[in-house]
Amino acid sequence: MTPPRARPKAGLAIHDMSHPDAMIDMHGIVKTFKNAAGEFTVLKGIDLTIYRGEFVSIVGKSGSGKSTLLNMITGIDHPTAGKVVIGGTDIYTGVTESQRSRWRGRNLGIVFQFFQLLPMLTLVENVMLSMDYAEMHDFDERPERAMEMLKLVGLEKFANKLPVLVSTGQQQLAAIARALACDPPLLVADEPTGNLDSKSADAIIDLFEELSRRGKTIVMVTHDPSLTSRTTRNIIISDGELIDETVSRALPLLRHRHMLEITKNARRESFQPHEVILECNQHVEDLYMIANGSVDVMTGNGSRSRVLAHLEANDLFGEIELLRGGKSIACVQAGNKPVEVLAFPRADFLRIVEESPITAEALGKIVQSRLEEHKKVIRKK
Amino acid sequence: MPTQNPSQSLIELRGVVKVYSTAAGEFNALRGINLQVGTHEFVGIVGKSGAGKSTLLNMITGVDEITSGEVIVNSNGGAVSIHDLDEDSIALWRGKNLGIVYQSFQLLPMLTLVENITLPMDLCGVFKPKESRERAMDLLRLVELEEHANKLPAFISGGQQQRVAIARALANDPPILVADEPTGSLDSITADHIFDVFEHLVTDQGKTIIMVTHDNSLAPRFSRHLTIADGEIVDEVVRAARAGAAPSWPGRGRAGTGERSAAQSKDSVLGLRTSSSAQREVTKRRRTK
Amino acid sequence: MTNGVQRLQTLETPKQGDPSTSSGYRFGLHKQIIMKPRWRKVFHDLIDNKARTLLVVFSIAVGVFSIGVIAGAYEIISNDMSASYAANIPANIELRMADFDEDVLTSIRNDQNIDLAEARRVFSIRVRVPGTQSWTTLDMVAFDDFEANTVNLLVPLEGESVPQKREIVLEQDALNHIQGVQVGQPLEFQLPDGSIKTMPVVGIVQDTATGAGDFLAAPYAYVTLNTLQYLGQADRFNRVYATTASGGDDIFHVREVGAALKDKLEKNGSIVIRTRFSMTHEHPLADTVNAILGILMALGILIVFLSSSLIANTLNALLNQHLRHIGVIKLVGGQRRQVFIMYLTLIMAFGVLALLVAVPLGGQGAYGLALFISSELNFNLLGYRLVPIAFAIQIAVGLLVPLVAGLAPVINGSRITVLRALSGDLAQDENQSSAGHDAESGIRIHWLDWMQIRFTRMLAKRGIHIPRPFVISLRNTFRRKGRLALTLFTLTMGGAIFIAVFNVRTTLHDYIGQIGKYFVADVSIDFDSPYRLREIEQKVLQVDGVERVEGWQFVSGELLDENGEVLENLNIFAPPAESKLIEPILTAGRWVLPDDERKFAVSEATLGYFPDLKPGDYLPIEVNGQKETWQVVGIFKFVDREGMLAYAPYEYVSRMNNLANQAYMFRLVTEQHNRPYQDEKAEELDAFLRTEGYNVHQSEAGSASLDTAVESLDTLVVFLLIMAILTAIVGSMGLTGTMGMNVLERTREIGITRAIGADDRAVMRTVIAEGVVIGMISFALAIILSIPFTYLLSTIVSLAVFETPIDVVFTYLGYAIWLGLVLALSAVASILPARNAARLTIREVLAYE
Repeated sequence: MTPPRARPKAGLAIHDMSHPDAMIDMHGIVKTFKNAAGEFTVLKGIDLTIYRGEFVSIVGKSGSGKSTLLNMITGIDHPTAGKVVIGGTDIYTGVTESQRSRWRGRNLGIVFQFFQLLPMLTLVENVMLSMDYAEMHDFDERPERAMEMLKLVGLEKFANKLPVLVSTGQQQLAAIARALACDPPLLVADEPTGNLDSKSADAIIDLFEELSRRGKTIVMVTHDPSLTSRTTRNIIISDGELIDETVSRALPLLRHRHMLEITKNARRESFQPHEVILECNQHVEDLYMIANGSVDVMTGNGSRSRVLAHLEANDLFGEIELLRGGKSIACVQAGNKPVEVLAFPRADFLRIVEESPITAEALGKIVQSRLEEHKKVIRKK
Repeated sequence: MPTQNPSQSLIELRGVVKVYSTAAGEFNALRGINLQVGTHEFVGIVGKSGAGKSTLLNMITGVDEITSGEVIVNSNGGAVSIHDLDEDSIALWRGKNLGIVYQSFQLLPMLTLVENITLPMDLCGVFKPKESRERAMDLLRLVELEEHANKLPAFISGGQQQRVAIARALANDPPILVADEPTGSLDSITADHIFDVFEHLVTDQGKTIIMVTHDNSLAPRFSRHLTIADGEIVDEVVRAARAGAAPSWPGRGRAGTGERSAAQSKDSVLGLRTSSSAQREVTKRRRTK
Repeated sequence: MTNGVQRLQTLETPKQGDPSTSSGYRFGLHKQIIMKPRWRKVFHDLIDNKARTLLVVFSIAVGVFSIGVIAGAYEIISNDMSASYAANIPANIELRMADFDEDVLTSIRNDQNIDLAEARRVFSIRVRVPGTQSWTTLDMVAFDDFEANTVNLLVPLEGESVPQKREIVLEQDALNHIQGVQVGQPLEFQLPDGSIKTMPVVGIVQDTATGAGDFLAAPYAYVTLNTLQYLGQADRFNRVYATTASGGDDIFHVREVGAALKDKLEKNGSIVIRTRFSMTHEHPLADTVNAILGILMALGILIVFLSSSLIANTLNALLNQHLRHIGVIKLVGGQRRQVFIMYLTLIMAFGVLALLVAVPLGGQGAYGLALFISSELNFNLLGYRLVPIAFAIQIAVGLLVPLVAGLAPVINGSRITVLRALSGDLAQDENQSSAGHDAESGIRIHWLDWMQIRFTRMLAKRGIHIPRPFVISLRNTFRRKGRLALTLFTLTMGGAIFIAVFNVRTTLHDYIGQIGKYFVADVSIDFDSPYRLREIEQKVLQVDGVERVEGWQFVSGELLDENGEVLENLNIFAPPAESKLIEPILTAGRWVLPDDERKFAVSEATLGYFPDLKPGDYLPIEVNGQKETWQVVGIFKFVDREGMLAYAPYEYVSRMNNLANQAYMFRLVTEQHNRPYQDEKAEELDAFLRTEGYNVHQSEAGSASLDTAVESLDTLVVFLLIMAILTAIVGSMGLTGTMGMNVLERTREIGITRAIGADDRAVMRTVIAEGVVIGMISFALAIILSIPFTYLLSTIVSLAVFETPIDVVFTYLGYAIWLGLVLALSAVASILPARNAARLTIREVLAYE
């Protein structure tokens, strides 16, 4: 599912807080933990908007702040500074923890990695419990509604079992059923597949995809990169800061720390349609990543030139020159629409590639295929 | 104590199988692992959550029971099939031969750092009390925390706690160090630093280290890394041997002068980055499946 | 907001504010002494969590203290009571006689079976401090020669111990009865003729022997014989106090000697009204005191049990919290034995700390209790001391109880595998023991949990749904089954004893109330000489508010056995047969009739001597110096003090006493029947009759003696109630501890409920409901358990006090109060943990490990 409108890039732009399709609007979120050893800033000013109907994965290493970020969305923790608006409600300003609990029960479903279900209640009772707390649905309708939810996740047979009697995967499914019981528009999951075998994990993600199709907004934290391909949007967090989604898509194999460096140091440049971005035979000083719009790679300027390649958002260019040194072998100009690119200085890029052999390898392959492409075109010419 | 099959390798796993009985039935966490680890190796075990990597580690440390197969560790002059030992013997053996580092540090909160490090020496009785304390201070110096010696764990940062945990793992001077996601709950810079300490222990102290991680990006820094999935080793990459292991400190009985070892350790810790980045790996990849 | 978890985690980590650790540094011991780290851990486990250490130490100390107090007091009293009694050469034989002279005394002294003998004159007299209104009745004892006092020795306490002519020495007990009396101050005495004499108090003495068997007796005062005339008394003796030459501790021998002496005296023309025998080395009240101490001992042992279950719970929780530490210790090379010894040392340290507190306190308490009892019963203690046996019991209890209570948790704890200890899998419920097998998975569910789920489902099928938050409370209640059992045990015991004490109180009051039926009169007036019924009736009816009067006769005698030997003193009251002022509780036969001759109704206590006695049987007695045989017409219930009680008709006894239509005792009915009114009328009548020239001996409210009995019983009940409240406190401490531990273990689950929408109130409600459910279960159990407890306590108390078992009466009062109390206690016990639970932020909860 794609959101109905083109969306601004997360992490860099400042959003209009009243965006009508925003499910989650986070602005300037800072979270600092204090302990005896000092202060640790876990989130360093996060701006993030998630739209209705999106299925978002948040990825990051342990300690990157991804769970803390999620806790800011669920209201489980509170930010040191900044504002979180969910479904139009500012959940922190003048709201007590207790009030937030009630709000949470009615407005979002939470799925954790561990310690999901209350062990003393059967699965169906666990599902009913959230309705009891939220006072959703009539008291007498709750058992029926709970059974429906269990049916949805395929657990109706086990409704009257205690959690210890079903597998962890089934427990996770029951937890999702519970999260859905009050019909919240937003589902938040923290490593929902973290301690599951791959088969159970698949089942959970299938269910999420289904729910996403039905219009739920889903935000899921994971450290399993293979899951990110199944979400509509992937957000990477590194050391408390969000990585530009263009950077992460253009250079997926880089270490997060390097992606962050690029996010921070890249220049954002805009070009009008058909405006030349890179001339031929020039010294190339930057790596370019397309944030918006598309570009055409041409053999040269002017009418004689031919289009070598058409590059879309999240593609990169300028890498051949940077890696092999020398001047540009083709020229690049904006496509039919305005283009926004991120430009990252050469020297820094080389250093980063040096430290990431896999990226070097991958870039090598791209370079190789592009060069072959280029040669073919030249030869044809 | 059984000392059969003295093998060349330091650690040998033969057909290690681990089956858990769970609510959903039997779950094969390990499906017949064969593995040999030699001295001075720095072995990384990577894999997703639930792949069985921690279970494998638990088989090597003997904290969990084996379903079938054998784990033989050949250290301190004798080969021991550790799963043939009773619980107390394993504990004692482990105390002397294995240092273990966990993701969650596992320091005792009521003991100071130096006391935490002295504890294994106290329990195993390898060193005399006075000697233990000096040695503990030396180890703290190694991890650059000697000025915090009398602090409680709660008053130092996570990264520092993990360094203390490493120092504690070294207390009885075991030849083998086992680490389960040691950088898992640390930010990336701290994690790097901890990793540097491990590398240093292999290169300069001659330790053998087995480390579980789910961070793939660490893979190139191991001398060998195993990928485990669904209870089997699916991939193994061996890199060329690291710089010659020169165990200089802390050898038993030659704890040396504090000053000298401090200087030495500081140098080596600082010098680590250049040396490790200088090592360009020559990888030799072989598919096991 | 972060306080919640920090507070909970202070169980594990030292507080930041702790001065010794404020900078994170630990200074101190290791600077001087190198303590091995494992012992440092034990040391810090002991001192870091002060609240927990205090709880454990207090739990142990409560048991050690109470057992120490009671064992010590028991030992001190049983030794000193007899020793101090014997030290003052108590008379073995006490004879109350008609007036006699020195010759009779000499003949007694010459009896070869008699060692020492003294003659005294004892009479009662009213006394007051000049300027005050209220009169107190004293028993005045006149001595021949204080210097030659050899039997029932007086122990000087203050001032003179030997009065001169017209001086008086008081027994110390008199100080409690006469307000404001002081040595050196004068006292006013009212003679039977109404005249008032004044004598100075010159000293205070203690007389442990005279009247020792009757703790309701009037206090004594002592004068010399040459003061008698001043007090309008004849210069003659009426009491003999004698010791036997041998066998003073053989009650049968004493009786024999006494009976022989009596025979001899009577043959020589003396009249012996009453005899009393006692042993030299046994205080007459020893049995009663021992019975009461026995009850206290039983309660003390119970408190030890209760405290041990408290200890077991706390140590269990401690070990549970420490499993991770144990895991770490084992991980770095610690062996099971080392872990075991570490925690055993910790437990021993708790025990030693408790002993340090409780042993000195217990020693003091034991002496205090002994002192209290001894002053109540007027005997002396041999001085403060440590009782070795109590000391040993305390040490044994202080070390063994925690050891036994903690052994299972320590063994289990030291057995835990590293994997389980470190996996955080600690909040698991206790291992399933039986039944409720899930066929598919093979995992066993405890039958109790299984039953609960079945029950909920059954209700659900019938359309009855319990709100899930309450289901959580219910099922949580039963999760820690061992802990629940221990908590229920303490709370139920406390409750059952509490309820039982109320029942016992009601039982005693009911019994006293029944006895009150023998004292229906509002005012009773005794005269020193007999008066005509008509005359007195005319007089007293002149007093406002007096409605009716009856004259009663009285004759004292002795109950004899088949061989004519004296068994027991016998008091025969003789009200008019038709009297409305007595409502006897007959257990057999009938009440007396006007024309009964030599027939009487006897109290149940007679069955003690004649177990097969039934109406129609004949009993040998001696009345007015004559041996006779009377027929028993009925048997009634009563409390016997100072001899057996019997009733015969006035009609016969008055003739027998040659006092037809006359009486010494009169019973009056007034308009109102409350105590103040009775008191007022009694005083008014007293004054009125004295001014009219009657020899009034005493005039008092009809229920006065009854009320005295009730008061002394209430003292006992209060004592029992204090013990019951102590057990209830121990019980609620146990509940608080349990709820605290439960909440601590379930923080993660509380986090889940918060995450899915439970607000503060919902979290608190769930926790409090659990506490209340436990309280209610214990209440139900206490109802059941209170029944045997009531019977047991009633029997012990009534045997000790009345020497007869009495009918048990139950009252809703104890149940109602305990219901309220247990509800309040359980709610209060859970509020603190519930508040802590509600304060936890979810992040803290889910991060909590």
